[in-house]
Amino acid sequence: MIPIDIRPDRLAQEMLDYTRKLGQGMENLLNAEAIDTGVSPKQAVYSEDKLVLYRYDTAPEVTPAPVPLLIVYALVNRPYMTDIQENRSTIKGLLATGQDVYLIDWGYPDQADRSLTLDDYINGYIDRCVDHLRETLEVDKVNLLGICQGGAFSLMYTSMHPEKIANLVTMVTPVDFKTPDNLLSAWVQNIDIDLAVDTMGNVPGELLNWTFLSLKPFSLTGQKYVNMVDLLDDPNKVKNFLRMEKWIFDSPDQAGETFRQFIKDFYQNNGFINGGVMLGDSEVDLKRITCPVLNIFAMQDHLVPPGSSKALKYLVGSQDYTELAFPGGHIGIYVSGKAQKEVTPAIGKWLNERVEQKSP
Amino acid sequence: MLSFVQPDPQEDKRMSKETFFNNDWLELQRRYWESWSEMGRRAMGTDGEDRLTAPWEGALDHWWKALLPAAPDLSKAFMEKMMEQGKTFFRMAETFASPTGEGSAATGLSFWTKTLEEMQKGLVGGPGESEKTLQRMMSFWELPLDNWQRMMSSLAPMPGDFLRNMPHEHFKDKLDRALSAPGLGYTREQQSQYQDLIRCTMEYQTALQEYTSFYSRLGAKSVERMGAYIQGAIENEKPVESARELYDNWVACCEAAYAAEVATPEYAQIHGQLINAQMALKKRMTIMVDENLGAMNMPTRSELRTLQDRLQETRRENKQLHHRLQALEKRVAALTDAAPASHKTALKTPAAAAKAPVRRKTAAKRTSDD
Repeated sequence: MIPIDIRPDRLAQEMLDYTRKLGQGMENLLNAEAIDTGVSPKQAVYSEDKLVLYRYDTAPEVTPAPVPLLIVYALVNRPYMTDIQENRSTIKGLLATGQDVYLIDWGYPDQADRSLTLDDYINGYIDRCVDHLRETLEVDKVNLLGICQGGAFSLMYTSMHPEKIANLVTMVTPVDFKTPDNLLSAWVQNIDIDLAVDTMGNVPGELLNWTFLSLKPFSLTGQKYVNMVDLLDDPNKVKNFLRMEKWIFDSPDQAGETFRQFIKDFYQNNGFINGGVMLGDSEVDLKRITCPVLNIFAMQDHLVPPGSSKALKYLVGSQDYTELAFPGGHIGIYVSGKAQKEVTPAIGKWLNERVEQKSP
Repeated sequence: MLSFVQPDPQEDKRMSKETFFNNDWLELQRRYWESWSEMGRRAMGTDGEDRLTAPWEGALDHWWKALLPAAPDLSKAFMEKMMEQGKTFFRMAETFASPTGEGSAATGLSFWTKTLEEMQKGLVGGPGESEKTLQRMMSFWELPLDNWQRMMSSLAPMPGDFLRNMPHEHFKDKLDRALSAPGLGYTREQQSQYQDLIRCTMEYQTALQEYTSFYSRLGAKSVERMGAYIQGAIENEKPVESARELYDNWVACCEAAYAAEVATPEYAQIHGQLINAQMALKKRMTIMVDENLGAMNMPTRSELRTLQDRLQETRRENKQLHHRLQALEKRVAALTDAAPASHKTALKTPAAAAKAPVRRKTAAKRTSDD
């Protein structure tokens, strides 16, 4: 038997199919128009420096939950991932469960933002957004939903300001940064972060992109485009692919001092586990988190391994701790069809139950 | 000799004005690939030197070049990315495709064993003239390096591959000696800086070469995995019959070999050294640029950073003071509210008093009554 038996006529047919799809793809590309980022209507309700706090419009027939939900996204990449297309939107899913959804857009830091520290982000920006909501909506507490690095920020914030947070949801959030399957962590151990930040000031988005793509270079920078050819004859799929492609490479630079502290305190010193993370004059202590916590992680996450997120269970002081394991990857948890059916309804239900429990 | 049906650029231009993709164009493509199919049969049926080295890759390349003038400008870059990857997977098929009519198990086994051996030889010792096809296929392993160089180019004033092939082993000792010579006189500091720059350059080059050679070793390991996969195909009597299937499996083998190796402490060290060496070089260059800017009485990066730090410190203090002021104002307002009723009436206008509290207050307060 010939193990690889590709006959010329079969190969010719494959080439014909490939080139036919490419040809049609050009037509669809030209018709794709501008790639929109974020599909749900929203209003800016607060801004400061490059930060903008948005409120997503609720449907007229929906009575919003009494406690607003503030989403804290990562500094890496852009938050429109949570609202990337009409039928793949975490935001829409949350709105459908009656949540009053707010989201922090960090913007694109430039060299003038180089000196921003973790303390500035957490006890400064996030705290002022929370206070803005508390004051304008006349509530004592808000619900917080942190995503990825934004989840780590939310943990730090809640431990520092427990009196302002009613319920905490963390999604694909790294907690134990030194699990054996954490490639990013392994790679960063030998990097001289001080030298890198002192040299570059801000850390360029291109460098982070390269790092993320290096986790699976052949699939993410090669095979993906071959797979793309199969989608080219469907204009909607082309547009969805381009939307995702834009998000992947839409990487803001990282404010240098924040990056320095985040990498050293967490990736190199595993600060949530070992302690020693200082924000201003105070040390982060996750035991101070006593509000209900919902911790969601993705089972096939190659950026934040499940074990990294699950470590949270033993670190928080909360008596009401729930885990939700999603059978997918780091991005699939927002954009997959399964996530729309399972993840956002589960978050909404979990939050509503806790808000109702507190009501008379 | 076969004559190929080639797309007429004028015709393509006409088509692009209407719609790029129509039935005439499809028919043209079909005839084009049928011609190549026939040629492929003949090429694969011939032996040794007469065999075309890359008929399919060449065909795809030719097709794209003919099409390019008619392709709308906006889509060219995108389509080129697709073509680049398309060529990679058809190249795979070329490398492994067996001669027509030699279908016995023994021939099949020996053919792929020989092919894999040649690939490994090519990776270890550098391919010779006769292994150019293999070299092209293995250039797939250049992908991670190419990514690095593209990223480097976006961060540095010089091209990402500027130092990659610069030989320095031959004169490294001489350079080391020259660099160890102390600077003298008025220009002592400048000499020292240039010596540091050259040292950083050499260290970066060494780190880059180590990084590159790590990938060469990975290439050999992925070939081993491909061998195991082909062995499995023989044992299960399930031959690979399409270029796409072959390509997908090759990607899986490469990705698996890569995942195993980059998780090692050895790779973490090589990776760290590369980044650190690049940063050290960039920092040295920045210092020298700053020196020159200073000499021209221009603002330097260092001065800007000092200003940025001071400004941020001032803003931080300003925001904290603002926050405290607001808190004080609230306390004062609360004290005013707590004052006797006669005072309250005087201070509070009817309009302000009529302003209803937001619906949430009650519910939210209940929420917080833990």
